[in-house]
Amino acid sequence: MRGGAQGGSVLVEQLVGTMLTLLVLGTLVSVVGTGTTLLLAAAARGEVEDTAQLAVEAFTFDVRRAGYDPTAAGLAPVGEARTDRLTLVADLNGDGVVAATSEETTAYACAAPQLSRIIGRQSLPLAGGVLACGLRYLDAGGLPLAIPAGGLDATGRSRIRAIALDLTIRQRGTPTSRSVVVALRSTP
Amino acid sequence: MRHDARGDGERGAALAAALIALAVSAALVAGLTDVVRTEVILARDRRAMLTALAAADACIAQYLATLPFGWELDALLLGPDGVRGTPDDGTIATPPGCTGSVARAPGPADPAHVLLGIDAAARGGRRLVDAVVGRDHVAATPGLLWVTLPPSPDAISGTMTLDGADADPASPDLPGLAAPAAPLDLDTWLAAEGPHITATPHTAAPVRALPPPLAELATRAEAAAPGGAELLAPQGAPSSPPVLALVRGDLVVPDARQGSGLLIVEGALDIRGSLDFTGVVVAAGGVQIAGGATLGVAGALWLGTPGPSAPLAVAGRLALRQSRAAIAAADGLLALPRRAILRGVRDVG
Repeated sequence: MRGGAQGGSVLVEQLVGTMLTLLVLGTLVSVVGTGTTLLLAAAARGEVEDTAQLAVEAFTFDVRRAGYDPTAAGLAPVGEARTDRLTLVADLNGDGVVAATSEETTAYACAAPQLSRIIGRQSLPLAGGVLACGLRYLDAGGLPLAIPAGGLDATGRSRIRAIALDLTIRQRGTPTSRSVVVALRSTP
Repeated sequence: MRHDARGDGERGAALAAALIALAVSAALVAGLTDVVRTEVILARDRRAMLTALAAADACIAQYLATLPFGWELDALLLGPDGVRGTPDDGTIATPPGCTGSVARAPGPADPAHVLLGIDAAARGGRRLVDAVVGRDHVAATPGLLWVTLPPSPDAISGTMTLDGADADPASPDLPGLAAPAAPLDLDTWLAAEGPHITATPHTAAPVRALPPPLAELATRAEAAAPGGAELLAPQGAPSSPPVLALVRGDLVVPDARQGSGLLIVEGALDIRGSLDFTGVVVAAGGVQIAGGATLGVAGALWLGTPGPSAPLAVAGRLALRQSRAAIAAADGLLALPRRAILRGVRDVG
């Protein structure tokens, strides 16, 4: 009898122990899972913020140098101005000529689901997962220029003093947005 | 004994589970820390780069603000000593936080332009920037009244009216006064003149501006075969096309006259009757308007340093009104000075 009672007691102890172990393991798995989710979310957030920031920095870099014309050849900084596409030109090597196949001609194609930077004839995706993307053009008074369907003509482009990029992307998780206004450095 | 053995086994399983959980948690924390650390480093580098770019832009803007109004830029290539072929050629004085030099730009000499190289450092970042500096394509008009020295107190015992609005509503309003002095000092002068000065709401606040290059303007006018004071017609006469008139010495206007274009007086302009002018009036020796006399200018009035007398003495009435078209017409007769502007920039590294 004493041995049988001991056996029953051991079974109950084993069951209770198993339950406690499962409880502890479950809690551990939950905590580790939450941590993993947080890590992945942070990494994804960092990646999407990186992507957006890099796109904005590239845009800023290109607009800053648009119209660089050391030979005073009368270069217009903006060759094409649409809401979804922008072409910037600069005589970076100072030879008086803008090469269409080099970084002297840089275009931005801005439409969901991708923002691309086109150097010469080479298209480089800047950001995927684009939810919204648009280009705006501001005059000397900081007012937006009305853009016809075919884009601004030469007269309209000559009035551009600043260019704005509005970008919203989502690659994994929360979307992120950037709006940047960059003034042209080339005064007409 | 069996109880003790089971107890040891349970303690061993718990320890192993705890160690595994600790290792996994440590790996997660390490991963998270690495991600965050990388982001922080990237953000810091980007901020340093953007700060340095902003410092370069500021350096260029501040340097341009120190360049005198004029026509050419060749003087910048000569360096501080103003002599070509010396070691300081191309050396320039830059604001704190950056260094720079000026070099001849490729291409034709006209339009005037030079290359400005700037090395700017700020908050751990450093950027090298090349900039193209040229002259504005429109004449400099920093204010309705542009003087080489701030007016003296009690310069206006009569009245002065300022209207900075142009006939074209798209044109920006013009400041009433531009002088090489702190805007606060110019504000103080305007306030001290009190009821003697009336400015319309479209007249912008006074601005600091380097002095107009009147001596060089007169020299250029000499070479342009100008007319003289006889080009000022009696008031009421049929309007005539704008002309370039250069008066060597003082000009006294004893009666009612009118004119348009560019009037340059190398001495003092003394108004004892009335003069109604459309364009730019330049008086290197200042302006005196007697009691009851009137000077009205639609365009701009530029005054030089007269020496012992005041640059501006208004006992009568002085009326200044912006007219971009009149200034453009004067500029068409003789190129007026331009401000130095940035024509383009390239990040080198």
